[in-house]
Amino acid sequence: MSECVLEGTNVTKHYDEGRIQALRGVDLAVNASEFVAITGPSGSGKSTLLQLLGGLDQPTSGEIRFRGHSLASSFDLDFYRSRRVGFVFQAFHLLPTLRALENVQIPMFETKLSLREREAKATELLREVGLEHRLEQYPNQLSAGERQRTAIARSLANDPEILLADEPTGNLDSENSAKIMALLTGIQAKRNMVLVIVTHESAIAELAQRTIHIRDGRISSP
Amino acid sequence: MSFIRIALKNLLRRRLRTVLTLCGVGVGIAAFVALVGFSRSFEDQWAKLYESSGTDIAVVQKTFLNTFVDESVGEKLRSLPFVAAADPVIVNLMDLTPEVNALVYGWPAKSFEMDTLTLLQGRGFHDDQPEVMLGEVLAENLGKKPGEIMEIQGSPFQVVGVFRGGSALEAGAAVLPLRELQKLSDLGGKVTAFHVHLRKGAEGESDQERMQKARADIEAAFPGLKALPASVRARNNQLVVLARSMAWGTSVIALFIGALGIANTMAMSVFERTKEIGVLRSLGWRRSRVMKLILIEAAILGLVGGCIGVLGGWLTLRILAGLPFTASFVTSSIPPLICGEALGISVVVGLVAGFLPAQRGARLSPVEALRYE
Repeated sequence: MSECVLEGTNVTKHYDEGRIQALRGVDLAVNASEFVAITGPSGSGKSTLLQLLGGLDQPTSGEIRFRGHSLASSFDLDFYRSRRVGFVFQAFHLLPTLRALENVQIPMFETKLSLREREAKATELLREVGLEHRLEQYPNQLSAGERQRTAIARSLANDPEILLADEPTGNLDSENSAKIMALLTGIQAKRNMVLVIVTHESAIAELAQRTIHIRDGRISSP
Repeated sequence: MSFIRIALKNLLRRRLRTVLTLCGVGVGIAAFVALVGFSRSFEDQWAKLYESSGTDIAVVQKTFLNTFVDESVGEKLRSLPFVAAADPVIVNLMDLTPEVNALVYGWPAKSFEMDTLTLLQGRGFHDDQPEVMLGEVLAENLGKKPGEIMEIQGSPFQVVGVFRGGSALEAGAAVLPLRELQKLSDLGGKVTAFHVHLRKGAEGESDQERMQKARADIEAAFPGLKALPASVRARNNQLVVLARSMAWGTSVIALFIGALGIANTMAMSVFERTKEIGVLRSLGWRRSRVMKLILIEAAILGLVGGCIGVLGGWLTLRILAGLPFTASFVTSSIPPLICGEALGISVVVGLVAGFLPAQRGARLSPVEALRYE
């Protein structure tokens, strides 16, 4: 039986003093090396769930556990985000003042790697995503697909166990979307990582081993 | 890529704003360097002046204002057994021409301090004669030579000598017979201070013991007066104290304005980069690292502004040292300590000004910051 890496129990998340209920009692478990897609209409709570799984926020009630440890306020969420989780965003979120090679090094500042080691590792990661010829380019000199590849390289900087992607193809054309998904699934398989993707595209969800559908803050049947 | 490089790149993102902030800090530090540098160099020149004059003790009024001493004190002072010489002196600051003002000393012709001047041209003055001796820089600024007449406060004085003294202050000063300066300053029977030269102490008595005993005896003999070691008098006379106070007061205001500039720039920068800070936090950067980044940016602004300010302050002093109106008091050299202090202060100003914006940046929740538009 596969080991459970991420687990949510009766997770709720309220905003605006309870007036907005983004999640209403979600239970889920994600196993090691599993590729899970979270789907649902806009405003259904899927991005909120991803943020809670990534330790970006705390649930209003219920519990998220990583390898059995609760991601409660006493947990070192900075360390969790830095070493255990890699994030890929729809809008890439690369720092505009830094070159591709420098953007990839950003998460490594929380490690003890030396400047040379950081650069060598970032170069290797950019090679892994096919951007070895674009190391010195600034984000505005990269195509949308190249920016997302850079962001994927950055998400792998500290060799996380979990890759969380929030609509990673949302800003890409279909050709680039296919390439990015091929890259993500390839990385997930090669590194035996957990991959959780939030998407509203059924074609992407079909690539996943399992799909969790969310509607009105609850897990539902698609 | 180093951490500092990220900070530098963030600052270069809004170049005009960064340059304007640096100018603001630079002006503050330039004011500090120029004013405090001037006041320190003024203070040092006074110290040199006393050191070279052979004065051991200055006898002055206890009060800060209304500081004149009755001339009759001199006779009793000279009768004290440990006093080798006690000469009256008047120190004044006068407009010699509409463009040139200078320190003007009143000494008796036979003052022991006269021996410390090296005559370059002419001779010394005679008591009770309308004669004046000029320091070499002052003579050049006024274009006067021995034998020529110059007007001081509406009265004609004959220039009788040009001298070189022990300090830059004397080079830009004029020395008049004591009585003549008393007349000009309406100080009949009054002097600024008595400068005392002590006899050698008894065998086995240290200079410090001799000084302490002499001061105690003088103060006991003249209850309204105080006897200050020459070095203390040099650093605490009214002109030096006023110069120091004004220099620090003005500098603090200028530095405060510079600090506001940095605080404003960093607050705007954090505000504009809210989303980026959210990204950094979501990638695992700790609050302390975000804070460190913003503080380093603020410190760089302070340090670079400080360097610009040191250069600006030095240029200001150079210009002032070349103007006839201020040449007597200003030297263009800046003590290295002032440069170190200025750079230290500029970095501290940067850090203090950047603290609140840094704290705000560090406190941002990753989710809130990522949602920020």
